Amino acid sequence: MKWLDKFSENSARSIARQSSRRSFIARIGTLMVGTAVVPLLPVARASENSRPPAPTETGDPQSCDYWRYCAVDGFLCTCCGGSYSTCPPGTTVSPITWMGTCTNPVDGKDYIISYNDCCGKSSCGRCLCNTNKGDRPVYQPFLSNDINWCAGSAVDISYNCSTAVVLGLAVADS
Amino acid sequence: MSGKIAFILTLRDDPKVQLMLRKLIFLVWISFLPVLGLAEVQSESMPPSIVLPAEANPHWVWVNDIVFHHMADGKSYLLDGDTGKFLGMLSTGLGFIALALPSDYAQIYSPETYFSRGTRGERTDVITFYDPRELKPTGEVIIPPKRFAAMPTLNYSALTDDDRFLMVYNFTPAQSISIVDLKERRFVGETDTGGCALVLPSGDRRFNMLCGDGSLLTVTLNDKGEVTNQQRNDPFFDPKTDWVTEKAVRWDDTWIFVSFNANVYPVDVSGKQPKPGKPWSLLSAAERKGSWRPGGIQHLALHEQSGKLYSLMHQGGDDTHKDPGQDVWVYDLKAKKQVQKIKLENLATSIQVSKDNNPLLFSIFIANPTLDIYSAGSGKHLRSVDEIGFTPTVLQTP
Repeated sequence: MKWLDKFSENSARSIARQSSRRSFIARIGTLMVGTAVVPLLPVARASENSRPPAPTETGDPQSCDYWRYCAVDGFLCTCCGGSYSTCPPGTTVSPITWMGTCTNPVDGKDYIISYNDCCGKSSCGRCLCNTNKGDRPVYQPFLSNDINWCAGSAVDISYNCSTAVVLGLAVADS
Repeated sequence: MSGKIAFILTLRDDPKVQLMLRKLIFLVWISFLPVLGLAEVQSESMPPSIVLPAEANPHWVWVNDIVFHHMADGKSYLLDGDTGKFLGMLSTGLGFIALALPSDYAQIYSPETYFSRGTRGERTDVITFYDPRELKPTGEVIIPPKRFAAMPTLNYSALTDDDRFLMVYNFTPAQSISIVDLKERRFVGETDTGGCALVLPSGDRRFNMLCGDGSLLTVTLNDKGEVTNQQRNDPFFDPKTDWVTEKAVRWDDTWIFVSFNANVYPVDVSGKQPKPGKPWSLLSAAERKGSWRPGGIQHLALHEQSGKLYSLMHQGGDDTHKDPGQDVWVYDLKAKKQVQKIKLENLATSIQVSKDNNPLLFSIFIANPTLDIYSAGSGKHLRSVDEIGFTPTVLQTP
């Protein structure tokens, strides 16, 4: 990837420092406001168990390659004082969820992931990740990762970082 | 006497005396400099700020910057494509998307958002009016604090064809439109547009919106800017298989939509009902096999007079529709045919073309903010200007 090398040489303001080459490529492809991508399956089709068994996981939660982030778009809360399921101190979670479906490499199962934004402060600025798997244009808003989902939070559109919460096992289409 | 002369001569040989003499000569010399007009720097008075020409140069370009890492501090920079000179800038608030430039360029309109405490407190959304010569705010109209916050495109707010009204797309996530009367400088009203997004002007008193089912919504205004009619039309593409991007460009009365899969969907909006044309592909069979596709933040640009469509291309698979590209392919829209391929100097996520008959092509990459400037006709790289903001998004030409 020649352009990647060129970018590395030229960029005065490196946007990405975390994680692997693959996610790096994905991240600089586009920077998006807000949360993440694409519900291959809508939330209503999440497992009926409200509390799914916690999946066994491997990997680095501060890396864009971490399995939960297959459709994340924004700064990882794990790098910003929060975790993949909690917001950093002093920020407010956006209750409007944005979903993707990610495969856990440990058990090979698909999980529905909710990428809630944490809001009310300026951008965290760390661990910027962007994957566009399944992303759709904003005229299908709940399938689009271009949108700043802090718009639906109590503290409005100041976007800080994104979480990646497991909602449940994805149920295959019948 | 000879003794006195001998003493003076002795003094002249003294190194201390020699140094004093040199200093004296130097002081006498510099005291004459102003008189002789040889001073390199004279004292200055501070003149008023620079005022730009009354008429915009068509080779100017506005580079909009959401400043992703400090989003409360949006900016827009004005550059001269002929010289690469940075002419000035605007400060445009939180979550900045783009300006609205009327055809006479007598004003610059900017939909902006501010919080009373920077990133918190009371939110105020405004349309700010700027004097294009002084780049100073001259007024504002407050609109509902609902303006869409998203990765920028040029289709989230727009002017009617006569530049009288400005429409702003809202998302809270309820979808609606705010309308501003620019002549009267007043907020006209807000209208729900559930299921539909974007603002795509189609007349003096009409605009369209793109809906989730692949249809267009036609919205009609009266002379006060009030919505008098909304009508949903039949879908013109399949939103389950071939999504058109939000980055459509307008060619006279036809909106040109391009899909993730490089299909072109023209829609004639000259009448009350939009008329979809026959779709065609940007790709030959060989190009498709080579996994070429359009991508980026602003992957399309259009040159009105020549009817040429400029498309930023890259090679990639599914889900690469926002990836940067280093190739611009040019199409004759009438012939529906590729006529030119331009290789860019650098990767780009946005491209734009100036509106004159000797157009420039501009490109910029959000992750490496250097503006590259080309002859749109020959594709020749003319110049580059670096340090243009932080995360530049969409480009606009007057």
